[in-house]
Amino acid sequence: MRLPRNPMAAMVVLVAVSASPLRAADSSAKVQLNVDKAGPRAVEAQTEQVILRDYRAAWTSLAQALEFNTLDPLEGPFVGTAKKWLTDSVTSQRSTGLSSRYSDQNHKLEAVFYAPEGDVIELHDTAEYQLQVSDGGKSIQEQHMIVHYVVLMTPAADRWVIRQLQAVPQF
Amino acid sequence: MQPKNLSDHSVLDKSVLAPAAQPASVLDDSVSADAVLKDSVLKEDFALKGRGFKPRRKYRKIDRGLSRCGRILAATRMQPWLLVWVLGANLGQVCAAQDIHAPTSVPAGEDTHFTTTGSDKATFYLVGPGVSSKSDVELAQGVRIPAQSVRNAGNYLAILCSDTCRSATFYVTPAQPATLTLRVHPSRVPVGQNDAVSGVALPFDQFHNLVIAPYEVNFQLTSGNSSVMSRAVRTLSGIAWFRTSSGKNTGILQVNAALNAVTSRRAVQQVASDPCNLRIKGQRTSKGIMVETEPVRDCSGNPVPDGTIVTFTASSENTKSSVDAPIKRGIARAQMEAPGATTISAASGVVMGNDLRIGAQP
Repeated sequence: MRLPRNPMAAMVVLVAVSASPLRAADSSAKVQLNVDKAGPRAVEAQTEQVILRDYRAAWTSLAQALEFNTLDPLEGPFVGTAKKWLTDSVTSQRSTGLSSRYSDQNHKLEAVFYAPEGDVIELHDTAEYQLQVSDGGKSIQEQHMIVHYVVLMTPAADRWVIRQLQAVPQF
Repeated sequence: MQPKNLSDHSVLDKSVLAPAAQPASVLDDSVSADAVLKDSVLKEDFALKGRGFKPRRKYRKIDRGLSRCGRILAATRMQPWLLVWVLGANLGQVCAAQDIHAPTSVPAGEDTHFTTTGSDKATFYLVGPGVSSKSDVELAQGVRIPAQSVRNAGNYLAILCSDTCRSATFYVTPAQPATLTLRVHPSRVPVGQNDAVSGVALPFDQFHNLVIAPYEVNFQLTSGNSSVMSRAVRTLSGIAWFRTSSGKNTGILQVNAALNAVTSRRAVQQVASDPCNLRIKGQRTSKGIMVETEPVRDCSGNPVPDGTIVTFTASSENTKSSVDAPIKRGIARAQMEAPGATTISAASGVVMGNDLRIGAQP
């Protein structure tokens, strides 16, 4: 590659080139939340923001856990059944040498039920992401996925946690 | 149902096009077969046309195709028999390539079998919620998925790899409801309150999958021998809920949810509401004034729970004093010091009692 003679221009090119792999490895999640159809209780604005924040963080943690086969990211965002199957996934991936990479995540989240006492919320997530499955570091499958998830979240001490994360063919 | 997604990592990708990827040394003037092919498609400058020969319109495509083949052969210096052999070999490879056919959906916790095509050995991967397995399989025998691998509802990815990889996605659907999670609020409720009791029921199968399919849940609320509410609610996305008023009498409110033979039960303690009528009586004693309430009840006639605070206030010409007394066995009592003529009143919450006038100490 020929670099420009101008040092500043050369630096810009180098930064651009070195930054491109970072974009490709982005495991953060984009989440849009719609609470218009939630009921019987209306979702308060502050609750909406917290759910949005915690759901996004949960998917980022999920992606890290399944890509690097580590259980640490699962502590906090997940409880109950959701935590169990993610833990089982990581454990079995470790034993088989597999890893799963979720990238370019885009979640369209809709609250469909919010309990009268505010102790449980059901969300429908239409998730789009690129899933790459690798065996011993070698990619064996890469696929663009559109998956519908039924999600149950409950409030914990300082956040909302995912209790159920179940994919369904359609809503 | 979303159709299964068959990812096509075809062996055609590289092997069939192998003749076009011959080393540059066999190509004329460094012109690749791809370039020749492209030129022939994009331009109409082939030789026959240049010589003034113009075939009838319906033969033009055939003519172009034959010309193209000839040009590829010329470009690659490949003998016709060699081209036929390469194509034949690759066609055979395509026919012998492995493939996997998964059912669209599989019930949770049931054995299932995927049909596979091909005759060699391959590696089979199953990736799903809580599952990530890898095993060697004989393609001729298909792939058997044991029940314990498909207990968790959700989407699964089945991947079959030998030279190349083929995949199929399928869904595991929840089994029949086996448990009913019932959340009821509050645990303690005053009687006669509108929309004070609510409950949410979620059916789960034996593998803790939320049962999304609609089912009818019967909610029954009973207090003593009387029915407070009975309602059938159909689940929507795995949730049925109710909200109702509390009963008229104190005691246990039984909340029962039933989905066919699956039941779940919770209890709510109904307590008396705020005092309704507060009446006091008193008399002067050697130590002062002994004042007490009549049995304190709510507007439905239920005794107000012990521990409820009643505030007695004694007012005389120059002084005013207050005493808080808890209700014990339905009655609140207090001893007050007031030598002169005194007016005593009582209050509990927002309810005021009658005024009691007691004369000065003799």
